[in-house]
Amino acid sequence: MRRTLFVLLLLAPGLGLVLAFVSLVLYVAVSQSFGLYNLGGDSVFSLAHWQAMLGERRYWRALQYSAYIAVTASLLAVALAYPVALLLRKPFRGSLTLSALIKAPLLVPGLVAAFLFVNVISYHGIVNQLMLSLGLWDAPVRLQNDKNGYGVILLQVWKQLPFAFLLLSAAVQALPDAVLLAARDLGAGPLDRFRKVVLPLTAGAMQAALVLIFIGAAGDFSFQAVAGPPSVDSLATLMTSVQSTQGDWNGAAVVAVTLMALSLFGSAALAILVRGATRLARG
Amino acid sequence: MSAKILQRLLVAVLVAVMLVWLIVPFAMAILWSMVDPSTAWTYPDLLPPKLSFERWWIMWQTTSLPTAILNSYSLAPIAALLTALLAAPTAFAFGRLDFPGKGLAQILILVPLVMPGFVVAIFFASILLQMGFFARYPAILFGHVILYLPYAVRILSVSFGQVRTDVVNAARDLGASPWQVFRVAYLPVLRPGIFAAFLVVFILSLEEFALAFVVGSPDFTTIPTILYSYLGYNFIRPNAAVVALILVVPNVLLMLGLERLLQSANPASVSGKG
Amino acid sequence: METKGTFVAYLAATDIGMRFDTFEALKGVSFTAERGEFITLLGPSGCGKTTLLNIVAGFLKPTRGALTLDGADLLPIPPERRDSAMCFQSYALFPHLSVRDNIAFGPRQKGLTATEVAKRVNDLLAQMALDAHAGKLPNALSGGQQQRVALARALAVGPGLVLFDEPLSNLDAKLRDQVRTEIRALQRRVGFTALYVTHDQAEALALSDRILLLNNGVIEQEGAPRDIYFKPRTRFVADFIGAANLHAGIAEAGALATPFGPLTGAGVATGAVTICWRPEMARLGPAGVNSLAGIVSSSAFQGAYTDVFVDAAGQTVRLQLPGAAHFAPGEALSFHVPPSAITTVADTAS
Repeated sequence: MRRTLFVLLLLAPGLGLVLAFVSLVLYVAVSQSFGLYNLGGDSVFSLAHWQAMLGERRYWRALQYSAYIAVTASLLAVALAYPVALLLRKPFRGSLTLSALIKAPLLVPGLVAAFLFVNVISYHGIVNQLMLSLGLWDAPVRLQNDKNGYGVILLQVWKQLPFAFLLLSAAVQALPDAVLLAARDLGAGPLDRFRKVVLPLTAGAMQAALVLIFIGAAGDFSFQAVAGPPSVDSLATLMTSVQSTQGDWNGAAVVAVTLMALSLFGSAALAILVRGATRLARG
Repeated sequence: MSAKILQRLLVAVLVAVMLVWLIVPFAMAILWSMVDPSTAWTYPDLLPPKLSFERWWIMWQTTSLPTAILNSYSLAPIAALLTALLAAPTAFAFGRLDFPGKGLAQILILVPLVMPGFVVAIFFASILLQMGFFARYPAILFGHVILYLPYAVRILSVSFGQVRTDVVNAARDLGASPWQVFRVAYLPVLRPGIFAAFLVVFILSLEEFALAFVVGSPDFTTIPTILYSYLGYNFIRPNAAVVALILVVPNVLLMLGLERLLQSANPASVSGKG
Repeated sequence: METKGTFVAYLAATDIGMRFDTFEALKGVSFTAERGEFITLLGPSGCGKTTLLNIVAGFLKPTRGALTLDGADLLPIPPERRDSAMCFQSYALFPHLSVRDNIAFGPRQKGLTATEVAKRVNDLLAQMALDAHAGKLPNALSGGQQQRVALARALAVGPGLVLFDEPLSNLDAKLRDQVRTEIRALQRRVGFTALYVTHDQAEALALSDRILLLNNGVIEQEGAPRDIYFKPRTRFVADFIGAANLHAGIAEAGALATPFGPLTGAGVATGAVTICWRPEMARLGPAGVNSLAGIVSSSAFQGAYTDVFVDAAGQTVRLQLPGAAHFAPGEALSFHVPPSAITTVADTAS
């Protein structure tokens, strides 16, 4: 009994504080989406805010857009990080430099990354200049705020690839050499070794990377605000604009709950899908 | 043999691509920050016609940049210190005790990492409004402490786990007081972890945008929010370049320091045993 | 090298050399193995035995030398297509596959039909007494069971040559003896050729048809266990295998001048030699020849025998004497060594 109390006392200032804060924020967000704790009027339980938001086209477009960015960015980042992690499994000349360069974007805050990128692709930026001088393009092309969100995806991949790389290379490096040699000894070539041994044993890390990147990209504000298509909102920019320009806290709460639901279910669905795919690859 | 050459070539290409990937954007940012306000850098000039630090000086003189720097660089160390202090008891429990539900607790502490930053920021602001709490500085400080507790707890629980029970027992056996036990058995092992936790929170607090933007706007500025103000509808490229460099350069230096620290924090060099 | 007429040995390694940067792990090793033979590569750590095994498996390419299996050049063939299977020191079981799937891995890679695979796996599960564990994951098994799965997995591909990399080093002493016996029985029954790496001389003596004793990248001595034990060629061999009394002496016309006075031995060399005899060959009491006397400096009861250290003529001599007798320090002791037990060894391999 005294021991339990001791442990609880230890956990209170750290875990306790975190849980209290997170649950309070969640509680307020969910409540406000149903008209409770109303900041601008009477607090009455109502579905009106959900009905109003669900009736708006830009809400659905934002949801679709955020899901698209999150799925594409997480799959791309993992797909690019995987081969590099495998290549760097064993140290060789230059491998340290290479892995340091891959991890470098971790040092660059998101807003700075967005700014640097916008500079490079701007109408008279270096990419356009280069393409013009090479004669590949006749006139500068508008790359910034492209309507497909490719700029945002590129930024997401640039920023999130190091995470995927760190998680995957930890998993790949934890594979015992002997296990891979055993597979080889028993007749498995490179492709079979990857399918039947490496992939199943690193699927956990791959899922973790997908989930983390998905959640990060789904909730993105900075990249969307700076480099995203002007005609669409991401859920985070929509939420912010609903709250700050319209002063509609309840509408923002609806978007917030949507964003959290997307993070939770979207990333889970993606992880399960990819798990299934690795099962299939194993044969 | 040819496979080896192929691999070398591949690595060389990758390194070259990564360098372009990193160096070109930074070089452009530096150039933009040094465009002299008197002569604009316009198409088709390949380089700015006149380079100077005039822009830096004007920004310092006429914008709220000095206040933003003061805010950011006072928030970061206080947040880091508070976070490390609050994280320590939980980290001790995770690193050195066994109790029912420990696995769950270790997962729950990570929840802030998967919470969308703007959701936390907006509904934290909503709570503050309902409480009638309008002091922005302590509110943002509190928010940073909570958001970065998971990092500090993770780092410190690894450090606590590396403290060797036999050394603790030996110190007790030889009649050391609790404080002496802490000094000889805990502190040498914990020190790199404490520094690492401090630095991680420091860096994250410096570059935190969502909370500072939502809770702080419009009048409370930090370096990231001032950068955002030059990137939004009010886009001023040279100003943004100056702020971006002010934000990223110390960050890179701190991160490199952190990397060193984390390397020296491995158990072999702490306990003197592999 | 063992070419008798047109007959070539099943496995033949000729002048294998291996260099890692500046370190020469193997300095020209040649050996052969006949079909069904149990060969042990024995030596201290760093002697090159594991390197040699990895070369035979195909995981390493030697810097020089030739390797043939069944008359065919082995070096250009990648490990996945060699007719050999390895039992790893760490077992190297696939942690994500059940015992059954671990064993089935090799046969499936070889493209056997599902029924063939099932039959082969079931046979091995039964042989290895693993039936009850077929559905379990490796980490749910004890060390001894994992070891048996590793062996079954290697045998499942029906290899002509099985390579063992210190397979018993992670087992406790009792289990080690039991698995050792099982491996030898299995090898006799199935008839595969075994190349077995160990640093444990007892394992090598008990298992092998022939031992190759490696030291510093060369074979110091090659022979049947009894030859190696009783007729060590060098000081290193005598010392590495079992315990040995080694003393400087001068041989002339069949007689040995030693610090203990003249001795009679089976040595053939002349000139300055090192004489060698095993502690358990000493007998209590004086005899006609090779009688020695000294003072007991210490003794330790070992159960089957008592280890006695005796100071004789300024040298420390070790005796292993059977029976229950006590030997107190300071006690005078006389003993003799039969001439047949005394050999001479070279100081270095040449």
